Order: sequence, then C-alpha cells, then structure tokens
Amino acid sequence: MERKHVLPKLEHSLEALSASSVEDSIRRHVKYSLAKPWRDVSSNDLFMAVALSVRDLLTERMLETEEYVRAEDLKTLSYISIEFLIGRLLTNNLYNLRAFELYRQACTNLGIDLDAVEQAEGDAALGNGGLGRLAACFLDSLATLDMPAYGYGINYEYGLFKQDIDDGYQQEKPENWLAERSPWEIGRAEEACLVPVYGHIEHALDRDGGYNPMWMGWKVLIGVPYDVLVSGYGGRVVNILRLYSARSSTDLDMRIFNDGDYFKAVEQKIASETISKVLYPSDAVTAGRELRLVQEYFLAACAIRDTVRRFERNHNDYRQFPEKIAIQLNDTHPALAIAELMRILVDEKALEWWDAWEITRATFAFTNHTLVPEGLERWPVPLLQRVIPRHLQIIYEINGRFLEHVSSVLPRDPGLLKRVSLIEESKPQQVRMTNLSMVGSHSINGVSAIHTGLIKTLLAPDLYKLWPERFNNKTNGITPRRWLLKANPELASLVTATIGEGWITDLGELRKLEGHVEDAGFRDEFRKAKASNKVELARIVHETVRVKVDPDSLFDVQVKRIHSYKRQLLNVLHIVDEYLALVEDGRRPAVPRTHVFAGKAAPGYWKAKQIIKLIHEVGRTINNDSHAQEWIRVVFLPDYRVSLAEKIFPAVDLGEQISTAGMEASGTSNMKMTLNGGITIGTLDGANIEIREEVGEDNFFIFGHQAQELLEMRTLHSYRPRDYYERDPRIRRIVDAFGDNLFCPSDPGLFQWIVDDLLSANDEYFHLADLPSYLDAQEKVSAAYCDRDRWTSMSILNVARVGRFSSDRVVAEYAREIWNLKPV
Amino acid sequence: MKLAVDQIGEVGVAVVPVDELDASNASEFKRDITPVVESNSKLVLDMSRLHFVDSSGLGVILSCLRQLSAKGGDLKLCCMSKQVRAAFELVRMHRIFDIYPNRDEAIRAFES
Repeated sequence: MERKHVLPKLEHSLEALSASSVEDSIRRHVKYSLAKPWRDVSSNDLFMAVALSVRDLLTERMLETEEYVRAEDLKTLSYISIEFLIGRLLTNNLYNLRAFELYRQACTNLGIDLDAVEQAEGDAALGNGGLGRLAACFLDSLATLDMPAYGYGINYEYGLFKQDIDDGYQQEKPENWLAERSPWEIGRAEEACLVPVYGHIEHALDRDGGYNPMWMGWKVLIGVPYDVLVSGYGGRVVNILRLYSARSSTDLDMRIFNDGDYFKAVEQKIASETISKVLYPSDAVTAGRELRLVQEYFLAACAIRDTVRRFERNHNDYRQFPEKIAIQLNDTHPALAIAELMRILVDEKALEWWDAWEITRATFAFTNHTLVPEGLERWPVPLLQRVIPRHLQIIYEINGRFLEHVSSVLPRDPGLLKRVSLIEESKPQQVRMTNLSMVGSHSINGVSAIHTGLIKTLLAPDLYKLWPERFNNKTNGITPRRWLLKANPELASLVTATIGEGWITDLGELRKLEGHVEDAGFRDEFRKAKASNKVELARIVHETVRVKVDPDSLFDVQVKRIHSYKRQLLNVLHIVDEYLALVEDGRRPAVPRTHVFAGKAAPGYWKAKQIIKLIHEVGRTINNDSHAQEWIRVVFLPDYRVSLAEKIFPAVDLGEQISTAGMEASGTSNMKMTLNGGITIGTLDGANIEIREEVGEDNFFIFGHQAQELLEMRTLHSYRPRDYYERDPRIRRIVDAFGDNLFCPSDPGLFQWIVDDLLSANDEYFHLADLPSYLDAQEKVSAAYCDRDRWTSMSILNVARVGRFSSDRVVAEYAREIWNLKPV
Repeated sequence: MKLAVDQIGEVGVAVVPVDELDASNASEFKRDITPVVESNSKLVLDMSRLHFVDSSGLGVILSCLRQLSAKGGDLKLCCMSKQVRAAFELVRMHRIFDIYPNRDEAIRAFES
C-alpha cells in the first residue's frame, strides 16, 4: 500500500529553529510553566525550563508519529519491562535532535551554562542494572530505526536507592527522582486503566449451561499513565515510553463523613498507591513478596489494556491482532501479560479458547536474561489464588492443554511432564514463570550465543526438543549515541573527523578506523582523548572519595552490580597478590594501576555488602601504605548510576568482565568499555566470547575455565579448592591475608567468611580454580600496557571492531526475525 | 436510597438511583432493592444512571439474580453504559444476564 505521506527526518523539521527561538522558548517556560520571574530562577528551574523547551520539540513529532502510525494502520511493538534505566535525558535528547550546539548557544546567550543545567538533572533510576538499561537502549534504537513502538513500565516514585558509604558499608537512601513532576513526563489521566486485583472465583453456569467462572470481590486499582517521549537519532519517529502510576479507586472525600471508614479508606488508598511507590532493589527473585507480584500484574494488566485499546481504534476482528501488534516480554516479570491477554480474549471478547491461544502465542515473544536458579521467577499458587484468581485459573487451563499436547508428541518419559509443567509440584505448588513465558510465546531468545545455547541444553531442553524453531539468539547491544557520542565527545569527534558521522547510526562504519591504526596523527589524538577522559575521572574520584589517582596509571575498572557470580572478589584477590608481591617480596608491578570499583548491592544481600566493605578496607590499607601507594590505588565510587557510568567508561584502560563462565547471560558493560577503547580481561562468558571473536584474540585478555568444564566439575563434584590453596603458595598467601586480618586489624575476623567461602564452602564460583590463569593474564596486561604502541593499537582495534554490538543491530534483528515490524 | 419502581404489567422496573455502585453504597442498595426483589418475579434493572460499578456493586446485582432465580423468576438489565458493560465483561457476568439496550426491549423479552 502506498503511504499517503512521509514523515520527514527530525532535523528537517528543526531547520527553522534558531538560537533566538530557543531563547524565547526557555524564557516562556520560566514565565508560564514555572510562573517565575527570570531573576529568581534556580538551577533546577533552569533545567526544568530547558527540558520543557526540548520537550516541545519532541511533542510535535510525537503527535505526528502517532497520527501517521494510526492513519497508516502500521504494526506496532509493545515492549514490556519492569525496569527502564533511562538515566538523564536532556543532553541525550539534544544529541538525538541534533540541536545540542544550538541549545548551548542559546543558553550562553541567556547567561546559562548548559553543562550546569545537565548536572541539575537527576538520573531516572527506574532499574537495577543490565536488564533495565538494555530496555532503555532498545527504546533509543527503536526510535532511531523509525520503528513504531511503545515502552510499558511502572512509574516508580522511588527508583533504585541512592548508595551512601559509611565506614565502608553501603547505606541505602531513598532516591526520589521526581516521578510525576519530571519535565519529561506527560500525565494522561484520561487514559487511566482500571485493574481488578484480589477477590475470588464464583463458579456458575452461563445461559447456555456452560461453565462460567466469575471473578468477584476484587478491589480496583487505577493505572494512570505518564508518557516519556523517546527520540531516536535523526530519525523520523518519536515514540512513547508509558509509565504507570498506581492509584486507589476509592474517592477519599466520600469517606470523610464517616469516621469509621475514613481511616480504612486512607489505609486502602496508601496500600494501592504503594504499588508504584518503589522499585524492588534486587535483580534476584523477590520470592514470595506479594507487593512485587501485584506490581508485575499491575504492569502486565495496564500494558495489555492499553495495547488492546490501541488495536481497537482501527480494528474489531481479533484474528488480526498478531498482524498489528507485537509484544516483547523483557524477562519473566511481565509474563502475566500472557494470561491477561487470554483473559480479555476469552472472558471479555468471547473468543473460543483455541482461537484466543493462537492469537496470544502469535503475538508474544520472550527474552530470557538469566540462567541462575534464583533468577528464575516462581510464584506460590496460594498467593496467585489470592491476588489474581482468574489468571491462575487461566494458567492452569494453559498448562492442562499444554501437557496434553506434550504427551501426544514427545516420547514417553517418566519425568517429562513434571519437568515442563508450568506448575512445580512443591509444597506449596509454584507457577514457573519461565515456562509460562516460553509456552505462551512464538519466539524465545537468549542474549548471547553461549547463553542461548545454555537455554537449549540446560534451562529448557524439553521445550527446545518440542519447538526448536522458537528458539533463537539475539546478542545484546548498546546505543552508540549515549555510550560514545554523548559520553565521550573527544573520541566521538575524532572518529567523526576521521571516518565521517555515519557510525552514529551504523556502528559497523567504525571498521574504517582499521585503516588508520598506523596513522601517527590519529594515534596521537586517540591517546589524547583517553588521557583527557582519565584526567576527568581522576578529578571525579578525588572529588568524591578524596583519593588522588594518577591518570597515567592503568585504569583497571570493574563497574556493575555487586554479586558473587560477577566475582568482584576475584578482582580483589589479584589486587592483594599485587600488593603482597610489592610489600613482602619487593616486586614492583610492571605498571602502576588504579583499580576502580563501583556498583550497588541488593539491600538484603549480605555477602555483596561485605564485598563493598572489603574493597574499602583493601583500598584503605593500600592507599595509605607509603610503599604501595605509588604503584597501586584502589577506589570505590559510590552511587553507581547511568550518569556516573558515562564518566567512567571513556576512561577505562582495562575492563574486568570476570564472571564465572556460564553465569553472565551477556553483559553490556563489556561492550560499553570496548566502544570507548577499553581492552577486556575476561572469561569466556556471555557476550565476551563474541566480543573476542570480533576484536581478535590478540586484542583481548582471556583466562579461566570454560562453562562446560565448570559444569562437569560441578556434576562430578570434582572441584577441590583446598587443593589450590595447599599446592600454590601464592594462592595460600592471598587467602591467608584475609584470615590473618591484614585488611581488618581493628576488626579481627571481619573477612574470615572469605576464607570459609573459598575453602570450606567449596568456592561455589570457582575463584581459586580461575585465579592462576587470571594472575597470568594480568601479567600479560601489564606487559602489554608497558608497550604503549601495542596498547594503543589494541585499543583502536577494539573500537574499530565493536560495531556488531550496537543496539541498532540487535533491534533490527528482533524487528525482522521476531516482530515482523517495519519502519515508518 | 430512594428507588423508583414502575410496574409494567407483571414486570417491575427499578432504576438504579446512583452514578456509582461500589463498596460505599452497595449494602444500602442491597437493603433497598431486597423488598423489590421479594415482591416481583419479573424484574428489570434500569442502569441508565450508573456509570461505575465495582465488585461490591456487581455482587449485589448478582445476588438479586440468584434470589429471583431461586423462586423461578428472572432479572434482566437494560441501558448499560460502556464502562458498566466493561465491568460485566471483565467478570463474565454478561454471560449469565440478559442485557438490553433499552427498557422496552427488556420488558418485551419477558413477554416472549
């Protein structure tokens, strides 16, 4: 069908924009949106006014996009995620609009420092880590690729907690990021959803004598959407991220006349609004937490209702639903959306079960992000019965029909039905959300080649046997706009000056840098960009934690969530080895190093919090040791968040990606560091494997056992960490340092748990097994860094060859292979 | 709650007298509709004023149907708004009630 008209590229619409029109817009917002005289504006006011001015530009194109998509009846994507780690938006939007310089000029004319305005914006920390940040990168790429899409999430009032450090210990403080008061949010009360929750099923017969379950006794939640506009780089579309706030349906005013009900009404109102109050600060399963279940259901219900509403604007035949709507589940947190769509189709639209099921399966696609058992969501049946009884009924029906199908097509196998069932027969029974997600989707993907392989062989081998065509790999990616163009303007400018700006939307263009790897002028500028970024990070380190670090030292960086499988402890073991060799053996390191750590621990995760304390105490000891401080520095930067990450990645020399093989589904900080010229030391895990394939074995420091080897060791129970301890004096010395209280002289026994973990508890994450090869690899790193020319070449080639890991690439793959989504 | 009840032949027609039927007034409605249910075996509920109903309100309407069915009678509904219809569909109550766009059709349905 011929398109009636074409949306022009954003930049063409903005050609009429001038510095003076931007100045007028900012002044107008100060006066009319903030109702303040210019002389009284604070830095926060200036941020609000500038942001609102930018939002005006986005709004125009968003309305055009919506109108266009609707008029052309285009297929759209609903991307549902319980987390969107979007960070700051002002500068990102200005880059995407290609209006950054214009706004800088306008601000200068007004006497405003745009950098200071940017600093006044808080991070929207609506996510814990990789999963939430991936969702945000995907939205950026969807818009850049002109794909019509809607993000659906929860409008948490309190995002991921602010991390303070007190005497080395993490303290969690509330992060009130502005939520509904953010200038980026547009409230849409008129499009609120009514979401029933709790209640019970009354069993009845309908008029034809058929079984008619009726969901009664529920209370109503109201989901009020707040739209955040999502621009792409120079693209045609501005998409919408729709975040839902929860409200109670009871009108408080009506209760005021009756004292007895008043407080109950207040309690109910508070309980309802608690649902979107806070992001659960853990990327592990929050087992049994009713509030979390209600959050997940609330998100699923709002997202599906809104998606159905959009579909019904142009259509009334539900057989067309999968042709017009694609839904992607970002992990299992929104999996209840499958049951919710079935409920709507069967209960409200009166479709026959099989028709509804065909539609549902053809619509949904599922991305798995983890293999670790504690990451696989399960919900107790009694809890589901209480919270969403009708959905539980539907899940049982799905399961019954599914098991019947399995019995008919797969060979008899005593444990098969138990293994694949959506219901785990424990006490109490549990619903396996991974199984629900897989059974209800036409596509199931992992996020790196190794991860997808492990899904097929370890996580869901029976389902893979049943439906091999559903399983596919979609290796993660990152947006080059935020992670290079914005985060590293020096390097970005150099790259553009060298190969043009095509790389911004086609990261594969970076390959052209290979032709410049021997160019002395280019190499010089490349090194200067890195040096400048390291100076800046050194300044931030000093400002934040009052430690002076040498920008000429090797910046050895591990920044990510604190978790045992990510093995921050392994990194510390290396540092301790370095330190002991220096102070006890007089062996100086080949190069001075600054070890940079950052990351948050889930509040209930004792061991992760102890790791943070450990890093601080090791740092305190080494940084204050006059024999060592010239050679080794250890710093922990508090409150790791997107805006801090943007400062760290450009300064990385060596990126630590050292998870136990088989445990990190993909990782994305590996890609961000590589994009900024950082060289990886890593295990063959997640996307490390594919990064190494792309950048070349010579430009990557590999170490450690492979996933298959570790699996065998686990299966055969053949791993004896004590053997490593007893046989290798170097390892023994490192481990003994913790038992001998070297890093906790005033708190003896503080780190005994490390010794116990490594030796008595069998070192679940294979630290000692990988330590020898890790130490060897670190020596190779030092040797390489001493050879400045070699290191520069390696760094350039890492940048040149990282193009595959753009989120544009992977989103295009999803669009082509899973969603059948076409650009505007 | 003042209930207006018309008698059209054998059929009683009662108007739900509120805009919202929910936890705050469902008991009161139940108390006031009960004598109407007891004194009729053919009853039409006119929902034209109603624009919001929650599960408490639905529960009362369902109990009226059950009471009438138990003595061989029936309850029909008419003049339902879109929002109220949506609530009925959500609960699957639209499958057990006869619902008509207007009073006349609902009354005529008793005759046929």
